Amino acid sequence: MTAIQDTTVKPQPRTASERLARMVSKSPVHIILGLVGLIWLIPSLGLLITSFRPSADMRASGWWTVLVEPRFTLANYERVLSAEGMGGAFLNGLWITIPSTIGPLVVASMAAFALAWVRFPFRDTIFLVIVAALMVPVQIGFIPLVTAYRESGLPLLDTYAGVWLAHTAYALPFGIFLLRNFFITLPKDLIEAARIDGASNWNIFRTIVVPLSVPAIAAYGIFQFLWVWNDLLMALVYVQRNSLQPMTVKVTQLLGTYATEWSLLSAAAFLIMIVPLIVFFSLQRYFVQGLLAGSVK
Amino acid sequence: MAVSSPPAVATAPKADREPGAGFNWAAVLFMAPAALFLAVFLAFPAVYTVALSFNRARRGEFTEWVGLDNWIRLFTEDPNFLRLGFPPSGALWNNVLWLVFYVSLCVLLGLVIAVVATRVRYEAFIKALVFVPQAIAAASIAIMWRFIYSPDAETGLMNSILGIFNVGPVSLLGSPDTVNWALIAVGVWSSVGFTTVILSAAIKGISSEVLEAARVDGANETQIFWRIIVPMVSLPISVVAVTLVVNVIKLFDLIYVMTLGGPGAASRVIAFSMYQEAFPAGQFGYGATIAVVMLLLLIPVMFFNIRRFRAEAVQQ
Amino acid sequence: MRKFRLIAPVMAFVLVLAACGNGEDGGADGTGAPEGLEEGDGSIVVTSLWGGAEEEAFVAVLDAFTEETGIEAEYEANRTDYATVLRTRIQGGNPPDVAIIPGIGFLRSFARDGSLIPMSDLGINREDIEGNYASGILDVGVVDDELYGVMVKLNSKATIWYSPERFEEMGVEPAEDWEGLLQLTEDIKAAGATPWSLGAADGWTLTDWFEITYLKMHGAEAYDTLFSPEGDWTDASVQETLDVIFGELLVEDNVDGGVDGALATAFVDAIGQVFSTSPSSELYYGGGFVGGIATGQDVNPDLAGQEGTAIDWFPFPTVNGSGEGLVTYGGDVMAALVADSDVAAFMEFMTTVESGQTWAEGGTIISPIVDVDTAVYPTTLIQAEAEQVTSAEAVRFDGSDLLPAGPDLGALLQSALRGEDMGSLLEEFQQQVTTAWEQE
Repeated sequence: MTAIQDTTVKPQPRTASERLARMVSKSPVHIILGLVGLIWLIPSLGLLITSFRPSADMRASGWWTVLVEPRFTLANYERVLSAEGMGGAFLNGLWITIPSTIGPLVVASMAAFALAWVRFPFRDTIFLVIVAALMVPVQIGFIPLVTAYRESGLPLLDTYAGVWLAHTAYALPFGIFLLRNFFITLPKDLIEAARIDGASNWNIFRTIVVPLSVPAIAAYGIFQFLWVWNDLLMALVYVQRNSLQPMTVKVTQLLGTYATEWSLLSAAAFLIMIVPLIVFFSLQRYFVQGLLAGSVK
Repeated sequence: MAVSSPPAVATAPKADREPGAGFNWAAVLFMAPAALFLAVFLAFPAVYTVALSFNRARRGEFTEWVGLDNWIRLFTEDPNFLRLGFPPSGALWNNVLWLVFYVSLCVLLGLVIAVVATRVRYEAFIKALVFVPQAIAAASIAIMWRFIYSPDAETGLMNSILGIFNVGPVSLLGSPDTVNWALIAVGVWSSVGFTTVILSAAIKGISSEVLEAARVDGANETQIFWRIIVPMVSLPISVVAVTLVVNVIKLFDLIYVMTLGGPGAASRVIAFSMYQEAFPAGQFGYGATIAVVMLLLLIPVMFFNIRRFRAEAVQQ
Repeated sequence: MRKFRLIAPVMAFVLVLAACGNGEDGGADGTGAPEGLEEGDGSIVVTSLWGGAEEEAFVAVLDAFTEETGIEAEYEANRTDYATVLRTRIQGGNPPDVAIIPGIGFLRSFARDGSLIPMSDLGINREDIEGNYASGILDVGVVDDELYGVMVKLNSKATIWYSPERFEEMGVEPAEDWEGLLQLTEDIKAAGATPWSLGAADGWTLTDWFEITYLKMHGAEAYDTLFSPEGDWTDASVQETLDVIFGELLVEDNVDGGVDGALATAFVDAIGQVFSTSPSSELYYGGGFVGGIATGQDVNPDLAGQEGTAIDWFPFPTVNGSGEGLVTYGGDVMAALVADSDVAAFMEFMTTVESGQTWAEGGTIISPIVDVDTAVYPTTLIQAEAEQVTSAEAVRFDGSDLLPAGPDLGALLQSALRGEDMGSLLEEFQQQVTTAWEQE
């Protein structure tokens, strides 16, 4: 699995002393990676421990002092979970996130297919313009879009529809970029053969391109899921009914004016993180392949 | 680059004005949904914002034409946006710092971790660990780092450790001299996973014969890293770098939750300034002007993309 | 107003009989709503930025309102991005009925945008409610000679917090004048402790410092001018005030964690430095709400019940012999975004002693309504705070909340705390403030 290691000129160690020698010669590697591991583990570990500490303790001593003076509580989790409407907010989060993930998957893969395999004028220019759209910050849309939503007369702000549409739109540039780069690596012969057999573009898209691109589509789906699930600002702006708000918003509503209840926030952070982590680890396999193919052709 | 290999053009999907690339109903149907979304949600607000930058824009609507007032104010009267001098400061300058250090550190660390991790059995674990911050909201990342950076040696891990060596306490987020570096460190921490995963996959694509040949020739690991691995993954590096540059220009969350642009305005970045002027302060015309600066910054990125894109098309 | 108070119990009775409180009752109840005010739908939404205990205390007020009028009242907390949410809700045609707005700069900005309903359009005239408030309180809600908002809660910002027990151990006592405060600071250091905690990462904590000191040093008139469009930030009085605070008192050695440490410490964390179970400094200057936070779940709930021994405050001292009886205060202003009979009824209700009393019992605020009996405040700390405000010779509203939104006084003062040369910074600030006033 590791290209560099496999090509090491040294023969495989046969005796214990050789193995030890090899360990020692590789110790800088372990030290570097150990350090990397620590640096990436410690902040998360600190948050996890803090979420189980009484807030008075949190203000008095560092989280690492639990090693000598362990004192834990579930109170922070209780406060978050027992808040009125938190369960509903969890479901709201799914209601917002799932369509906001599927929508861009469909729209972006269709466009990416056209940009990769259907010939039409100015195709590459259009692709570049879409890539440039990556730069448009979501904040500039708030006022004009909310105004347009209102003037459309449709119930976009009182329902999830408005936030679904907005999330779909802002996910497209990255999705089209990623998927077009993946689609174009698919074997040309396969698609040409299908064309000669008289398959329509739609059939080629549906039966060849999409099935062969599952890793890339999944990678994009995970990114989009994580982003929407963790989002606060878009929900605040485009979901204008309190009872429809997701957990990220609900949690901020538990805070006092100065919003410094770190213990509460730590617990909430972990509760919010559970879903993305499940999604990520269950689809991780696709994720790496997808990103790889999208960027490395 | 493109000129040197004419036959490649035939196989490349470079269809602009190419014979046979006429109007195509299928293309229209496939592109229509995306085009509609992009027109309504990205192009329309972008154009609207450009127009708004010449307006007072109460409530974010067109209320009063002010010509170039916002623009003049932005570049001459707003030291929080840009203060020339030595060293320069202001939001725009901070973005430059981010651009240089965040992007290069993310790429370099990503490469190093990816290369080094290939040599151990727990590679997958290290990569997953480094990737985890990608799944965490900025607000939670801010809390994690609060417990590290806290100037209070009792509750801040960094100062607690420094205290053992009788150093400090230091307050990285509290001093204008260090706040940007401390934030860039957090930014790098949260993004290295992304570069590691992509670059690690690319490195595995390098044929083992090449590396073996280099070793037989007596190249040491550092030479292999710089002379072989880096050049061979230069394309993925450029993809990752473009993504990171876009991240930098749109950077907002981390600043908003960690320092609110402070102390003073020392850690402001342009996206933060734009938000701050438009929403809390209600000066939408002025905020729009800053947003247009962000859009203008994309032009060099686009040029880079076009060049890379052409090069890629030829390679195929 | 008074008419309403008499009629309310009758209305409640009628509503019970009617069994279903629908919107029509709102308009028919003699709130004095002018002709043509739209009938409400029997429910209102009120938004502000409190959660937790503050929210509970306010929801009790809403419940009292519902009980009295039959109009359902829902509270919506918008803790983060308050202004963004409010602006996009207004633009989306879904404004909350009533917003309780922090900062008069916001109030003016929203009022001039045409987003707020003048009180007179709701049938509430200044003359009718004037008697309920101390003089000057209603002025805060006036924009361009029109009353848009009414202050509903306030807090003194002339309180310095400390622990009497620890003071006793160190053998020091609260100060009464600036010299005394400097001496107290030295004495605490001599006793081996750190005098001041500062939450300077939140710039507004420094604006509070500046405002009270400026008011004390230069008097109410100069204060009013400074925070008006005529204010001159390059005036010598500003620099003098900065010198006193940041040159004499809040210098590196007197501040917990040093200046840089303070600049990375948030407001509540700074309270924790004085009142947590493991305190590291002795004095905290901040609004009356500090008491509630220090004894609350987030800092040190064990302190609750130990008011007067483990936690107490003393009045901000006179500065160089002047400023006796002058007090700064902060507060939130309620304004209507929708004109209908339900909203009118709510606004009326919020000016009554009854609403003030209910809210005051929650222990998180001081009611600006004069007839609220100080005995209803649940702790001695809040009672004393209420007395400080009501007995003050003159009170002045938080100046940074009066400035137009945009220029960041807090950021300017963070530079002052760092000991930067303020001359050019004050000139720049003056320019920004001038532009911002013009832009309003």
